[in-house]
Amino acid sequence: MSVATWVNDTLVRDPTERRIFATLAIITALLVVGVFAGVIGPRFLLFQVALVGMYALLSLGLNVQWGYAGLINFSVAAFWGLGAYSAALLTAPNSPLGMGLHPIFGFLAAIVVSALVAILIGIPTLRLREDYLAIASLGLAEVIRLIILNERQWTAGSSGISGIPSLLEWLPLTSAATTASIVVVLLALTYLFLRRIHRSPWGRVLRTIRSDEDLAKALGKDTYRFKMQAFVVGSVVMAIAGAFYAHLNLYIDPSDLVPLTTFYIWIAVILGGTGSNRGAVVGAAVVIAIREGSRFLNDIAFIGNLGLDVAPLRLLFVGILIILIMRYRQDGLLPPKDELIWPSAQKESSAASRGAAASDGGVVTDGTTSGGPSDGGENQ
Amino acid sequence: MIPLQISPFQYIVNGVVFSSIIVLAAIGLSLVYSIADFANFAHGDLMTVGAFSGLFSVAIFRPMLGDVGLFGLPLWFFLALAFGMVAAAVIAVVTDRIIYQPMEDSGSIGLLITSIGVALVYRASIFLSFGSDSERYGVARQGPIPWIRESFGVAITPRNFVVVILATVLVTGLHLTLTRTTLGRKMRATADNADLARVSGIRTDEVIIAMWLIGGALAAAGGVFLGLEELVRPRMGFDILLIVFAAVILGGIGSVYGAMLGGLVIGMVHELVPLFNQWGIIPVGSRYAAAVAFVIMVAILLVKPSGIVGESG
Repeated sequence: MSVATWVNDTLVRDPTERRIFATLAIITALLVVGVFAGVIGPRFLLFQVALVGMYALLSLGLNVQWGYAGLINFSVAAFWGLGAYSAALLTAPNSPLGMGLHPIFGFLAAIVVSALVAILIGIPTLRLREDYLAIASLGLAEVIRLIILNERQWTAGSSGISGIPSLLEWLPLTSAATTASIVVVLLALTYLFLRRIHRSPWGRVLRTIRSDEDLAKALGKDTYRFKMQAFVVGSVVMAIAGAFYAHLNLYIDPSDLVPLTTFYIWIAVILGGTGSNRGAVVGAAVVIAIREGSRFLNDIAFIGNLGLDVAPLRLLFVGILIILIMRYRQDGLLPPKDELIWPSAQKESSAASRGAAASDGGVVTDGTTSGGPSDGGENQ
Repeated sequence: MIPLQISPFQYIVNGVVFSSIIVLAAIGLSLVYSIADFANFAHGDLMTVGAFSGLFSVAIFRPMLGDVGLFGLPLWFFLALAFGMVAAAVIAVVTDRIIYQPMEDSGSIGLLITSIGVALVYRASIFLSFGSDSERYGVARQGPIPWIRESFGVAITPRNFVVVILATVLVTGLHLTLTRTTLGRKMRATADNADLARVSGIRTDEVIIAMWLIGGALAAAGGVFLGLEELVRPRMGFDILLIVFAAVILGGIGSVYGAMLGGLVIGMVHELVPLFNQWGIIPVGSRYAAAVAFVIMVAILLVKPSGIVGESG
């Protein structure tokens, strides 16, 4: 299959999507031109790429929880922090633990710790209505932040941990290029893994639970177990993003553990399209653009002269954005479509629909929200 | 804090004061939960809106009234309280009309996520109009009432009294409204089963407006009292939202009387944490008071998710 057909089949399906991808392509092209014209420093751009990649990982993690299974997790920042602190504490030679281990142990610790915490918070809440998890996870985030702030003997408190080693320093690239390539690889692996499990029978059960939990129960599924698995998988992805950030920024303190970080990721997921992995990645890029873009506002003389503080304006913008998306475009920019269906099944059913009445094709474009067990990919 | 040995009763006094604030906030949150059927994450910031509206009106009332006092506090403070309550009630209703009402179809989860956006908009508006600094109402500092201090060894300031008594009055007023008036009966009917209420001729729309008015006013009262006892900060409401939620869950989601009881217990425990720590019952001090409330909440979810008063989860 040529690249062009692949792009046509998997990325560009309808005019809206084509416009969105065209816009993204233009922006990317402008950034690249900017680098060659010397307007944008390549280091800066690579750092932003790494940041987008990290946000995309967080969004993919939240998408497993909220998009696949309908779980409301308001402690994204906390799981990210658990990952970042696991990595920082184990690998930085001058951290309070002072172990200076190889980064691989940091990543392993991030995975184990986040999985344990996810299970602990899942046990009391996942059997109950969705909003209990929302409330409990908001509390969990606060408790984790309190612990990191107060237990200075273990976490260095608000002064933070510095001296975290960079990853793969032996690569013949600049450090910015190395981290950017690592995040691209990490993101690609996570993306493929999550897409694989989303299309699997496991993913279909989750989608059923999201649209009608009672139905899933009636079909004999242990919905509690499935929700727990989704919650743990999502939280582990968030912690990996955190561990990566520790090695990207080389410094970590509790100031990013605030709820606002969590709400940024929520915007990325619902703006991108709940349940859609492509959407989560695009949403993450948009959120970074908002964050970094508003930072530049300060530099524009006109706005600087008004004496406005940008932080509250950004808060206002984020709030209004959440309200507007929820009200007018709950599907987001790139809602999930037939990517949930195995390519071979898609071919079969499109062949069938060509032969039979065109209305058969409707099954194929079934989205997540309505996608029950009768989804087009069932016979896989 | 007084460096001397603090009497255990002092912690209980602090607990009663803090409980009054939490009860006021928890009732509003619980009302929204039972009638509008969603967890309103903007409730904490609604408290902040009330507190800052009160602060705004101080500038108007204070020059008008000067030093006229009432119950040991300046009269303008009571007017500022009333102003804050009215402002928050109106803002709550307006928010419902322009944001929550048109979104009824998106269900309780859609409304929950939207309420996060509303919370951020409230807070950003406060940052933009009042700045990010902590403020005070400017009520003169008062020492504890001397005779109570001498006879019982606990420090109670006149403002402690005012907070507890006014909170009691408001809660009693709500109780009487719910049990003795037609509006109260309509509210309880709507909370119990909105469809049935509508079928029996209750205009649930009016009930929902009344609910937002009451919930907003009580939240603002809680916010103003919190600002009086501590500081008026833009993040004050969001910071205690977790504790308010813990109170609502402890009492049983959607139960107004549960919220009162839950608020009392959680508020009390929150202030007793240092005492328990001193006695060696729990290993953490007051810095973890919010975490203790959270642990209680999780324990309740494990043992009896319907709460101590609620019937169904």
